[in-house]
Amino acid sequence: MNSAEATTYYFQKAARIMDVGERIETLLSTPLREVKVQVSLELDNGEIRTFTGFRVQHDNSRGPMKGGLRYHPQVDAAETLGLASLMTWKTAVVNLPFGGAKGGIQVDPTHMSLKELERLTRKFVDQIQDIIGPTRDIPAPDVNTNPQVMAWIMDQYSKYHGHSPAVVTGKPIDLYGSKGREAATGRGLLFVCREILRDVGSQVRATRFAVQGFGNVGSHAVRLIHDDGGIVVAVSDVHGGVINPRGLDVPALFEHAKRQGTVQGFNGGNACTNEELLACDCDVLVPAAMGDSLTKQNANDVRAKIIVEGANSPCEPEADEIFEKKGILVVPDILANAGGVTVSYFEWVQNLQHVTWDEDRVNGELEKVMKESYERIASISRSRKLPLRTSAYVLAIGRVGKATVLRGI
Amino acid sequence: MPNALLKKLQGIPMCAGLTAADIEDLIAIAEEKSAKKGDKLFTEGEPGEVLMVVLEGKVEVTKREAPLATLEGGSVLGEMSLLGGDTRSASAAAATDVKYLAIRNGPFQKLIAKDNIAALKIVHNLAKVMGKRLAMINEKLVDSLGKTKKKEELADFGRILNRWSF
Repeated sequence: MNSAEATTYYFQKAARIMDVGERIETLLSTPLREVKVQVSLELDNGEIRTFTGFRVQHDNSRGPMKGGLRYHPQVDAAETLGLASLMTWKTAVVNLPFGGAKGGIQVDPTHMSLKELERLTRKFVDQIQDIIGPTRDIPAPDVNTNPQVMAWIMDQYSKYHGHSPAVVTGKPIDLYGSKGREAATGRGLLFVCREILRDVGSQVRATRFAVQGFGNVGSHAVRLIHDDGGIVVAVSDVHGGVINPRGLDVPALFEHAKRQGTVQGFNGGNACTNEELLACDCDVLVPAAMGDSLTKQNANDVRAKIIVEGANSPCEPEADEIFEKKGILVVPDILANAGGVTVSYFEWVQNLQHVTWDEDRVNGELEKVMKESYERIASISRSRKLPLRTSAYVLAIGRVGKATVLRGI
Repeated sequence: MPNALLKKLQGIPMCAGLTAADIEDLIAIAEEKSAKKGDKLFTEGEPGEVLMVVLEGKVEVTKREAPLATLEGGSVLGEMSLLGGDTRSASAAAATDVKYLAIRNGPFQKLIAKDNIAALKIVHNLAKVMGKRLAMINEKLVDSLGKTKKKEELADFGRILNRWSF
């Protein structure tokens, strides 16, 4: 089951528990618009290449649609649709006035020059500029896209529609970006960890964490967990990992990663594989790498009592069921990694109001949003005796559904 | 007995399955009549005691002055009168000069009382026609009920959401 199918599965599970009926299920799961475009480009060496780009806009009942734009050879329509709907539920869970969207271009950007990437981005914007916009659909960085790409999008869009910084989020700080945006997903994850640990009578301090993935989510999560007094016993990235049951020296680990470009080979612990990290002795497991890392094959090996999904769809539904049976609490992606889109929302708000918030304000507002959202989900989970993930989807369907009913069809 | 009349009657649904002898029994109690264009044959609401078989010409049937149907040779009007119906449910008038066969209820009931095969076969045929009409009306009724009982799927969804209280 791929991540798009997993989203559908979790959505349907909640929709059926709520008994919304087949037609409402169809209404809520069918995307508003799916756009496929062709982007032809003359490479630096004179070759002509044609790339396929997608933008799927899933639901706008709660506001303009919001979602990342990724550059990856495996981008396709079905996956983009799944991720777009995931964004609808995610923005609803954290109660942002947004709907969900996702997009991407089928391209391997590691084989392109910066100039080629810029031309590709601008030509893609030429193709979709009439369906995006600050009140329509607001892209953001995703796999292989970064603040520079967002700056190009803003610039190209503004050529058509006038100065429009709010058309895209995740922009560079020096060009209408928000302070705190880069660490936002990791920080949101920390806030969620604080809440669930308090619920089980514990706290981040002295709790043992294992974090799979050392990218934008994992690295900030590791640093913030460490700053909060948590013990990071294992970390890995795509090359491999390092484990130390007494706790890794996190500042030294960052030094090593900065020098080597990987956490592998850090001498403050023993080397381990990604599989070993998932099965290591810890209290909280944070899968923050790619999707589907926890499967029915390895789910039974997990020793953590709590899983906090830093990545999108790291648990296959079969694995999720095993965790439910074993009483392992899973904080779902649509809450655990919603810090990123939440601060994207703050960036959009600042752009629309022509103001700049300081980082303390950004982090403070983020904490409020994450705490409130966790509380709502935990309360549904307690009163209805449902796992956190189903409760999160119930909350999301409820919010999207209410907007749909109130607006009328 | 005119052969042409017998042939005509053999061809109409009301007489399906009747032998020549049966039809002769029927003709014996029937009366051949004619009407001029524009003549009223019967009027809505008056007692109906005669069944009519149109032999030639056209008859226009109306209800509350709205046209219902134009009947031609071989059609039957007022069949309810043989089955105990009391008053005419519609009016009929000759749209052209018309020849028709009138069968009165009284003599027909006497045939039935004698277990006359022709009369019983006719009742059977009329029952079949009425059964088909009843089935059609039932369909229409269900359709119109379905149309009036409007679904409220969006409002139902709203009620579900209220039950979950977010």
